[in-house]
Amino acid sequence: MEQKTREQAEKLYMRGLHVFARSADTESLELVAELWQDAWESYRKIGDKSKARDLEKSLAALYKKKYLKVQETRERQGGIIRKFKDWFMFFKIGCFGFGGPMAVFSLLQDELVREKKILTDKDFLEGAVLGDVLPGPVTMDIVTYTGYKLKKWFGALISTLVFILPSFVLMIILAILYNRYSITPKVEEVFRCLGAAVTGLILSVGLKLSKTEMKDYRELCILIWAFASALIFKLDIVVIVGFAGLVGIIVYHDDTEKQQVK
Amino acid sequence: MINTLVKLSWVFLKIGTFSFGGGIVIIPLVENEVVVKYGWLTKTEFVDAVTLGQITPGPVIVSATFIGYKACGILGAIVSTLSVILPSFVMICLATAAIKKFRENKTLANFLRGARVAVIGMVFDAGVSIGRSSLVDIKTILIVGMSIICLFKYKVNPIWIILGAGIVGLAT
Repeated sequence: MEQKTREQAEKLYMRGLHVFARSADTESLELVAELWQDAWESYRKIGDKSKARDLEKSLAALYKKKYLKVQETRERQGGIIRKFKDWFMFFKIGCFGFGGPMAVFSLLQDELVREKKILTDKDFLEGAVLGDVLPGPVTMDIVTYTGYKLKKWFGALISTLVFILPSFVLMIILAILYNRYSITPKVEEVFRCLGAAVTGLILSVGLKLSKTEMKDYRELCILIWAFASALIFKLDIVVIVGFAGLVGIIVYHDDTEKQQVK
Repeated sequence: MINTLVKLSWVFLKIGTFSFGGGIVIIPLVENEVVVKYGWLTKTEFVDAVTLGQITPGPVIVSATFIGYKACGILGAIVSTLSVILPSFVMICLATAAIKKFRENKTLANFLRGARVAVIGMVFDAGVSIGRSSLVDIKTILIVGMSIICLFKYKVNPIWIILGAGIVGLAT
Protein backbone atom coordinates (compact mmCIF):
# COMPACT_ATOMS: atom_id res chain seq x y z
CA MET A 1 0.00 0.00 0.00
CA GLU A 2 2.63 2.46 1.08
CA GLN A 3 4.88 1.44 -1.77
CA LYS A 4 2.07 2.01 -4.26
CA THR A 5 1.25 5.48 -2.96
CA ARG A 6 4.91 6.40 -3.07
CA GLU A 7 5.19 5.30 -6.67
CA GLN A 8 2.10 7.24 -7.61
CA ALA A 9 3.39 10.36 -5.92
CA GLU A 10 6.69 9.98 -7.71
CA LYS A 11 4.87 9.66 -10.99
CA LEU A 12 2.75 12.75 -10.31
CA TYR A 13 5.84 14.74 -9.47
CA MET A 14 7.61 13.62 -12.62
CA ARG A 15 4.63 14.45 -14.78
CA GLY A 16 4.52 17.92 -13.26
CA LEU A 17 8.19 18.34 -13.95
CA HIS A 18 7.67 17.35 -17.60
CA VAL A 19 4.86 19.84 -18.05
CA PHE A 20 6.95 22.47 -16.38
CA ALA A 21 9.90 21.80 -18.67
CA ARG A 22 7.79 21.93 -21.78
CA SER A 23 6.18 25.33 -21.34
CA ALA A 24 5.85 27.99 -18.71
CA ASP A 25 2.61 29.81 -19.50
CA THR A 26 -0.03 30.39 -16.88
CA GLU A 27 -2.13 27.33 -17.71
CA SER A 28 0.64 24.78 -17.55
CA LEU A 29 1.91 26.35 -14.35
CA GLU A 30 -1.53 25.77 -12.92
CA LEU A 31 -1.44 22.13 -14.00
CA VAL A 32 1.98 21.61 -12.47
CA ALA A 33 0.79 23.11 -9.22
CA GLU A 34 -2.14 20.72 -9.14
CA LEU A 35 0.01 17.65 -9.84
CA TRP A 36 2.59 18.57 -7.24
CA GLN A 37 -0.04 19.29 -4.67
CA ASP A 38 -1.45 15.78 -5.16
CA ALA A 39 2.01 14.33 -4.86
CA TRP A 40 2.64 16.32 -1.69
CA GLU A 41 -0.58 15.00 -0.16
CA SER A 42 0.37 11.44 -0.98
CA TYR A 43 3.78 11.87 0.64
CA ARG A 44 2.17 13.29 3.73
CA LYS A 45 -0.25 10.41 3.90
CA ILE A 46 2.55 7.88 4.03
CA GLY A 47 4.51 10.05 6.40
CA ASP A 48 7.58 10.79 4.30
CA LYS A 49 8.44 14.12 5.85
CA SER A 50 11.64 14.96 3.99
CA LYS A 51 10.08 14.35 0.56
CA ALA A 52 7.03 16.40 1.56
CA ARG A 53 9.25 19.27 2.63
CA ASP A 54 11.13 19.15 -0.67
CA LEU A 55 7.86 19.37 -2.51
CA GLU A 56 6.70 22.25 -0.37
CA LYS A 57 9.76 24.18 -1.40
CA SER A 58 9.22 23.54 -5.10
CA LEU A 59 5.57 24.46 -4.72
CA ALA A 60 6.45 27.74 -3.07
CA ALA A 61 8.83 28.58 -5.90
CA LEU A 62 6.18 27.59 -8.40
CA TYR A 63 3.51 29.75 -6.81
CA LYS A 64 5.83 32.71 -6.83
CA LYS A 65 6.48 32.21 -10.51
CA LYS A 66 2.81 31.79 -11.24
CA TYR A 67 1.96 34.95 -9.33
CA LEU A 68 4.51 36.94 -11.29
CA LYS A 69 3.20 35.51 -14.53
CA VAL A 70 -0.38 36.47 -13.74
CA GLN A 71 0.70 39.97 -12.73
CA GLU A 72 2.54 40.33 -15.99
CA THR A 73 -0.32 39.25 -18.24
CA ARG A 74 -2.74 41.43 -16.31
CA GLU A 75 -0.50 44.41 -16.82
CA ARG A 76 -0.14 43.71 -20.50
CA GLN A 77 -3.89 43.45 -20.97
CA GLY A 78 -4.69 46.54 -18.93
CA GLY A 79 -1.84 48.60 -20.32
CA ILE A 80 -3.37 49.96 -23.48
CA ILE A 81 -6.71 50.88 -22.01
CA ARG A 82 -5.20 52.46 -18.95
CA LYS A 83 -2.73 54.45 -20.96
CA PHE A 84 -5.41 55.83 -23.23
CA LYS A 85 -7.56 56.82 -20.31
CA ASP A 86 -4.70 58.60 -18.62
CA TRP A 87 -4.00 60.74 -21.63
CA PHE A 88 -7.66 61.41 -22.12
CA MET A 89 -7.81 62.62 -18.55
CA PHE A 90 -5.29 65.33 -19.32
CA PHE A 91 -7.34 66.31 -22.33
CA LYS A 92 -10.42 66.59 -20.16
CA ILE A 93 -8.63 68.76 -17.65
CA GLY A 94 -7.31 70.87 -20.50
CA CYS A 95 -10.90 71.39 -21.63
CA PHE A 96 -12.36 72.34 -18.28
CA GLY A 97 -9.67 74.45 -16.71
CA PHE A 98 -11.66 77.67 -17.05
CA GLY A 99 -11.02 80.24 -14.40
CA GLY A 100 -7.28 80.33 -14.16
CA PRO A 101 -4.46 78.14 -12.97
CA MET A 102 -5.85 77.40 -9.54
CA ALA A 103 -8.95 75.84 -11.03
CA VAL A 104 -6.78 73.43 -12.98
CA PHE A 105 -4.90 72.80 -9.77
CA SER A 106 -8.09 71.62 -8.09
CA LEU A 107 -9.19 69.54 -11.07
CA LEU A 108 -5.82 67.84 -11.17
CA GLN A 109 -5.84 67.13 -7.46
CA ASP A 110 -9.28 65.60 -7.75
CA GLU A 111 -8.43 63.41 -10.74
CA LEU A 112 -4.90 62.36 -9.95
CA VAL A 113 -5.02 61.93 -6.21
CA ARG A 114 -8.60 61.15 -5.31
CA GLU A 115 -9.98 59.34 -8.37
CA LYS A 116 -7.10 57.65 -10.14
CA LYS A 117 -4.72 57.51 -7.18
CA ILE A 118 -1.75 57.97 -9.49
CA LEU A 119 -0.15 60.41 -7.09
CA THR A 120 -0.36 60.85 -3.36
CA ASP A 121 -1.07 64.24 -1.82
CA LYS A 122 2.60 64.44 -1.02
CA ASP A 123 3.66 63.80 -4.63
CA PHE A 124 1.13 66.28 -5.85
CA LEU A 125 2.33 69.03 -3.55
CA GLU A 126 5.91 68.30 -4.51
CA GLY A 127 4.92 68.78 -8.12
CA ALA A 128 3.39 72.07 -7.09
CA VAL A 129 6.58 73.08 -5.30
CA LEU A 130 8.54 72.38 -8.46
CA GLY A 131 5.98 74.30 -10.47
CA ASP A 132 6.29 77.27 -8.15
CA VAL A 133 10.03 77.32 -8.04
CA LEU A 134 10.62 76.67 -11.74
CA PRO A 135 9.31 78.90 -14.53
CA GLY A 136 6.12 78.28 -16.42
CA PRO A 137 2.50 78.13 -15.34
CA VAL A 138 2.15 76.00 -12.23
CA THR A 139 -0.63 73.89 -13.67
CA MET A 140 1.25 72.97 -16.78
CA ASP A 141 4.24 72.16 -14.65
CA ILE A 142 2.14 69.77 -12.57
CA VAL A 143 0.80 68.13 -15.73
CA THR A 144 4.31 67.68 -17.07
CA TYR A 145 5.47 66.40 -13.70
CA THR A 146 2.68 63.83 -13.55
CA GLY A 147 3.36 62.72 -17.10
CA TYR A 148 7.02 62.28 -16.28
CA LYS A 149 6.16 60.25 -13.19
CA LEU A 150 3.90 57.99 -15.25
CA LYS A 151 6.03 57.34 -18.32
CA LYS A 152 9.24 59.38 -18.20
CA TRP A 153 9.96 61.80 -21.07
CA PHE A 154 7.40 60.30 -23.38
CA GLY A 155 4.68 60.62 -20.78
CA ALA A 156 5.65 64.18 -19.99
CA LEU A 157 5.57 65.11 -23.66
CA ILE A 158 2.20 63.53 -24.35
CA SER A 159 0.52 64.84 -21.22
CA THR A 160 1.74 68.39 -21.78
CA LEU A 161 0.72 68.46 -25.44
CA VAL A 162 -2.64 66.85 -24.76
CA PHE A 163 -3.25 69.28 -21.94
CA ILE A 164 -2.45 72.35 -24.03
CA LEU A 165 -4.30 71.13 -27.12
CA PRO A 166 -7.87 72.24 -26.27
CA SER A 167 -6.77 75.75 -25.35
CA PHE A 168 -4.56 75.92 -28.39
CA VAL A 169 -7.35 74.98 -30.78
CA LEU A 170 -9.84 77.28 -29.11
CA MET A 171 -7.33 80.10 -29.20
CA ILE A 172 -6.71 79.62 -32.91
CA ILE A 173 -10.44 79.74 -33.56
CA LEU A 174 -10.81 82.87 -31.45
CA ALA A 175 -7.84 84.46 -33.19
CA ILE A 176 -9.34 83.78 -36.62
CA LEU A 177 -12.69 85.20 -35.52
CA TYR A 178 -10.95 88.19 -34.03
CA ASN A 179 -8.98 88.81 -37.17
CA ARG A 180 -11.97 88.60 -39.44
CA TYR A 181 -14.72 90.27 -37.45
CA SER A 182 -12.75 91.80 -34.61
CA ILE A 183 -15.03 90.40 -31.94
CA THR A 184 -14.06 89.74 -28.40
CA PRO A 185 -16.65 87.82 -26.42
CA LYS A 186 -18.43 89.81 -23.73
CA VAL A 187 -18.59 87.31 -20.97
CA GLU A 188 -18.17 89.27 -17.77
CA GLU A 189 -21.12 87.78 -15.97
CA VAL A 190 -20.13 84.24 -16.91
CA PHE A 191 -16.68 84.99 -15.64
CA ARG A 192 -17.90 86.29 -12.33
CA CYS A 193 -19.85 83.10 -11.71
CA LEU A 194 -16.93 80.97 -12.83
CA GLY A 195 -14.70 82.98 -10.51
CA ALA A 196 -17.02 82.25 -7.61
CA ALA A 197 -17.07 78.53 -8.39
CA VAL A 198 -13.29 78.54 -8.69
CA THR A 199 -13.01 80.24 -5.32
CA GLY A 200 -15.03 77.42 -3.80
CA LEU A 201 -12.94 74.85 -5.66
CA ILE A 202 -9.69 76.32 -4.44
CA LEU A 203 -10.75 76.66 -0.84
CA SER A 204 -11.97 73.09 -0.70
CA VAL A 205 -8.72 71.81 -2.20
CA GLY A 206 -6.86 73.85 0.41
CA LEU A 207 -8.96 72.26 3.14
CA LYS A 208 -8.44 68.77 1.75
CA LEU A 209 -4.69 69.19 1.47
CA SER A 210 -4.35 70.67 4.93
CA LYS A 211 -6.21 67.71 6.33
CA THR A 212 -3.57 65.31 5.03
CA GLU A 213 -0.51 67.47 5.43
CA MET A 214 -1.11 69.13 8.82
CA LYS A 215 0.44 67.06 11.54
CA ASP A 216 1.23 69.50 14.32
CA TYR A 217 1.54 73.17 15.23
CA ARG A 218 4.70 73.66 13.13
CA GLU A 219 2.88 72.99 9.90
CA LEU A 220 0.12 75.30 11.03
CA CYS A 221 2.62 78.09 11.71
CA ILE A 222 4.26 77.75 8.30
CA LEU A 223 0.87 77.65 6.62
CA ILE A 224 -0.39 80.79 8.35
CA TRP A 225 2.89 82.58 7.72
CA ALA A 226 2.88 81.66 4.01
CA PHE A 227 -0.74 82.67 3.66
CA ALA A 228 -0.23 85.99 5.40
CA SER A 229 2.93 86.93 3.57
CA ALA A 230 1.32 86.18 0.22
CA LEU A 231 -1.88 88.04 1.01
CA ILE A 232 -0.68 91.00 3.06
CA PHE A 233 2.95 91.54 2.17
CA LYS A 234 2.63 90.28 -1.42
CA LEU A 235 5.93 88.49 -1.28
CA ASP A 236 7.01 86.64 -4.40
CA ILE A 237 5.89 83.04 -4.51
CA VAL A 238 9.44 81.79 -5.09
CA VAL A 239 10.59 83.62 -1.96
CA ILE A 240 7.79 82.19 0.15
CA VAL A 241 8.17 78.61 -0.99
CA GLY A 242 11.95 78.78 -0.75
CA PHE A 243 11.89 80.31 2.70
CA ALA A 244 9.35 77.77 3.95
CA GLY A 245 11.68 75.07 2.68
CA LEU A 246 14.58 76.54 4.64
CA VAL A 247 12.41 76.74 7.74
CA GLY A 248 11.51 73.10 7.09
CA ILE A 249 15.19 72.14 7.09
CA ILE A 250 15.62 73.78 10.48
CA VAL A 251 12.49 72.74 12.33
CA TYR A 252 12.34 69.17 11.06
CA HIS A 253 16.02 68.75 11.53
CA ASP A 254 15.79 66.47 14.58
CA ASP A 255 12.78 64.35 13.76
CA THR A 256 13.67 63.04 10.33
CA GLU A 257 14.23 59.58 11.74
CA LYS A 258 10.86 59.44 13.38
CA GLN A 259 9.19 60.63 10.21
CA GLN A 260 10.81 57.95 8.14
CA VAL A 261 9.86 55.18 10.53
CA LYS A 262 6.26 56.25 10.23
CA MET B 1 8.52 84.71 -42.84
CA ILE B 2 11.21 82.36 -41.57
CA ASN B 3 12.75 85.40 -40.00
CA THR B 4 9.57 86.21 -38.10
CA LEU B 5 9.21 82.60 -37.00
CA VAL B 6 12.71 82.57 -35.59
CA LYS B 7 12.08 85.84 -33.79
CA LEU B 8 8.78 84.56 -32.41
CA SER B 9 10.41 81.41 -31.21
CA TRP B 10 13.24 83.33 -29.56
CA VAL B 11 10.91 85.78 -27.80
CA PHE B 12 8.69 83.07 -26.44
CA LEU B 13 11.54 80.82 -25.40
CA LYS B 14 12.82 83.76 -23.40
CA ILE B 15 9.41 84.42 -21.90
CA GLY B 16 8.93 80.74 -21.13
CA THR B 17 12.24 80.67 -19.32
CA PHE B 18 11.55 83.68 -17.11
CA SER B 19 7.90 83.21 -16.37
CA PHE B 20 8.43 82.37 -12.73
CA GLY B 21 5.28 82.27 -10.70
CA GLY B 22 2.96 81.65 -13.61
CA GLY B 23 0.72 83.59 -15.93
CA ILE B 24 -0.06 87.19 -15.02
CA VAL B 25 3.43 88.05 -13.82
CA ILE B 26 4.89 87.89 -17.31
CA ILE B 27 2.33 90.07 -19.06
CA PRO B 28 4.42 93.28 -18.85
CA LEU B 29 7.44 91.39 -20.14
CA VAL B 30 5.48 90.05 -23.10
CA GLU B 31 4.01 93.45 -23.84
CA ASN B 32 7.41 95.03 -23.97
CA GLU B 33 8.70 92.47 -26.46
CA VAL B 34 5.64 91.99 -28.63
CA VAL B 35 4.13 95.46 -28.78
CA VAL B 36 7.02 97.85 -28.23
CA LYS B 37 9.96 96.03 -29.71
CA TYR B 38 8.58 94.06 -32.64
CA GLY B 39 5.20 95.67 -33.17
CA TRP B 40 3.40 92.43 -33.99
CA LEU B 41 0.32 93.69 -32.19
CA THR B 42 -1.12 97.03 -31.24
CA LYS B 43 -1.71 97.82 -27.60
CA THR B 44 -5.47 97.13 -27.82
CA GLU B 45 -4.88 93.87 -29.63
CA PHE B 46 -2.49 92.85 -26.91
CA VAL B 47 -5.05 93.53 -24.17
CA ASP B 48 -7.56 91.48 -26.15
CA ALA B 49 -5.02 88.69 -26.49
CA VAL B 50 -4.64 88.53 -22.72
CA THR B 51 -8.39 88.58 -22.21
CA LEU B 52 -8.81 85.75 -24.66
CA GLY B 53 -6.04 83.90 -22.89
CA GLN B 54 -8.10 84.04 -19.75
CA ILE B 55 -11.17 82.78 -21.55
CA THR B 56 -9.52 79.65 -22.84
CA PRO B 57 -9.32 76.82 -20.33
CA GLY B 58 -5.55 76.56 -20.29
CA PRO B 59 -2.99 78.79 -18.64
CA VAL B 60 -2.90 82.47 -19.61
CA ILE B 61 0.32 81.73 -21.43
CA VAL B 62 -1.83 80.44 -24.30
CA SER B 63 -2.05 84.10 -25.28
CA ALA B 64 1.18 83.22 -27.04
CA THR B 65 -0.92 81.25 -29.52
CA PHE B 66 -2.92 84.34 -30.35
CA ILE B 67 0.14 86.55 -30.65
CA GLY B 68 1.84 83.99 -32.86
CA TYR B 69 -1.22 83.79 -35.06
CA LYS B 70 -1.37 87.55 -35.43
CA ALA B 71 2.31 87.73 -36.30
CA CYS B 72 2.64 84.81 -38.67
CA GLY B 73 -0.54 82.78 -39.16
CA ILE B 74 -1.14 79.20 -38.05
CA LEU B 75 2.53 78.34 -38.28
CA GLY B 76 3.39 81.25 -36.02
CA ALA B 77 0.78 80.07 -33.52
CA ILE B 78 2.28 76.60 -33.40
CA VAL B 79 5.85 77.84 -33.12
CA SER B 80 5.13 80.33 -30.37
CA THR B 81 3.03 77.90 -28.32
CA LEU B 82 5.68 75.22 -28.46
CA SER B 83 8.44 77.72 -27.68
CA VAL B 84 6.67 79.07 -24.65
CA ILE B 85 6.10 75.67 -23.07
CA LEU B 86 9.45 74.15 -23.97
CA PRO B 87 11.70 75.69 -21.25
CA SER B 88 9.51 74.77 -18.30
CA PHE B 89 8.87 71.37 -19.84
CA VAL B 90 12.55 70.52 -19.97
CA MET B 91 13.24 71.93 -16.53
CA ILE B 92 10.37 70.05 -14.90
CA CYS B 93 11.45 66.76 -16.44
CA LEU B 94 15.03 67.21 -15.31
CA ALA B 95 13.97 68.31 -11.84
CA THR B 96 11.57 65.39 -11.45
CA ALA B 97 14.28 62.97 -12.45
CA ALA B 98 16.64 64.64 -9.99
CA ILE B 99 14.16 64.73 -7.14
CA LYS B 100 13.79 60.99 -7.33
CA LYS B 101 17.51 60.61 -6.84
CA PHE B 102 17.73 63.07 -3.99
CA ARG B 103 14.67 61.80 -2.14
CA GLU B 104 16.90 60.00 0.30
CA ASN B 105 18.70 63.22 1.15
CA LYS B 106 17.32 64.30 4.51
CA THR B 107 17.96 68.00 4.09
CA LEU B 108 16.09 68.07 0.83
CA ALA B 109 13.27 65.99 2.28
CA ASN B 110 12.86 68.52 5.07
CA PHE B 111 13.02 71.37 2.60
CA LEU B 112 10.23 69.82 0.58
CA ARG B 113 8.22 69.18 3.71
CA GLY B 114 8.30 72.84 4.61
CA ALA B 115 7.70 73.95 1.05
CA ARG B 116 4.70 71.66 0.68
CA VAL B 117 2.97 73.39 3.54
CA ALA B 118 3.76 76.79 2.03
CA VAL B 119 2.07 75.67 -1.19
CA ILE B 120 -1.12 75.01 0.75
CA GLY B 121 -0.83 78.56 2.08
CA MET B 122 -0.52 79.75 -1.52
CA VAL B 123 -3.65 77.84 -2.42
CA PHE B 124 -5.64 79.62 0.28
CA ASP B 125 -4.16 82.93 -0.83
CA ALA B 126 -5.24 82.33 -4.41
CA GLY B 127 -8.71 81.45 -3.17
CA VAL B 128 -8.97 84.69 -1.23
CA SER B 129 -7.67 86.90 -4.02
CA ILE B 130 -9.91 85.37 -6.67
CA GLY B 131 -12.80 85.49 -4.24
CA ARG B 132 -12.23 89.15 -3.55
CA SER B 133 -12.66 90.08 -7.20
CA SER B 134 -15.54 87.75 -7.99
CA LEU B 135 -17.68 87.86 -4.84
CA VAL B 136 -19.81 90.85 -5.65
CA ASP B 137 -23.38 89.85 -4.91
CA ILE B 138 -25.49 87.26 -3.14
CA LYS B 139 -25.51 84.97 -6.16
CA THR B 140 -21.75 84.60 -6.28
CA ILE B 141 -21.51 84.16 -2.51
CA LEU B 142 -24.10 81.38 -2.79
CA ILE B 143 -22.06 79.74 -5.54
CA VAL B 144 -18.96 79.73 -3.37
CA GLY B 145 -20.79 78.27 -0.41
CA MET B 146 -22.50 75.60 -2.48
CA SER B 147 -19.36 74.57 -4.28
CA ILE B 148 -17.40 74.20 -1.03
CA ILE B 149 -20.15 72.02 0.43
CA CYS B 150 -20.46 69.93 -2.75
CA LEU B 151 -16.72 69.42 -3.06
CA PHE B 152 -15.61 68.99 0.50
CA LYS B 153 -18.57 67.14 1.91
CA TYR B 154 -20.06 65.23 -1.03
CA LYS B 155 -16.95 64.94 -3.20
CA VAL B 156 -18.65 65.97 -6.44
CA ASN B 157 -16.43 66.05 -9.51
CA PRO B 158 -15.23 69.67 -9.84
CA ILE B 159 -15.94 69.69 -13.56
CA TRP B 160 -19.65 69.72 -12.78
CA ILE B 161 -19.19 72.68 -10.46
CA ILE B 162 -17.46 74.69 -13.17
CA LEU B 163 -20.03 73.74 -15.79
CA GLY B 164 -22.87 74.57 -13.42
CA ALA B 165 -21.48 77.94 -12.53
CA GLY B 166 -20.92 78.73 -16.22
CA ILE B 167 -24.55 77.90 -16.96
CA VAL B 168 -25.74 80.07 -14.07
CA GLY B 169 -23.63 82.89 -15.46
CA LEU B 170 -25.05 82.47 -18.95
CA ALA B 171 -28.62 82.23 -17.73
CA THR B 172 -28.64 85.43 -15.73
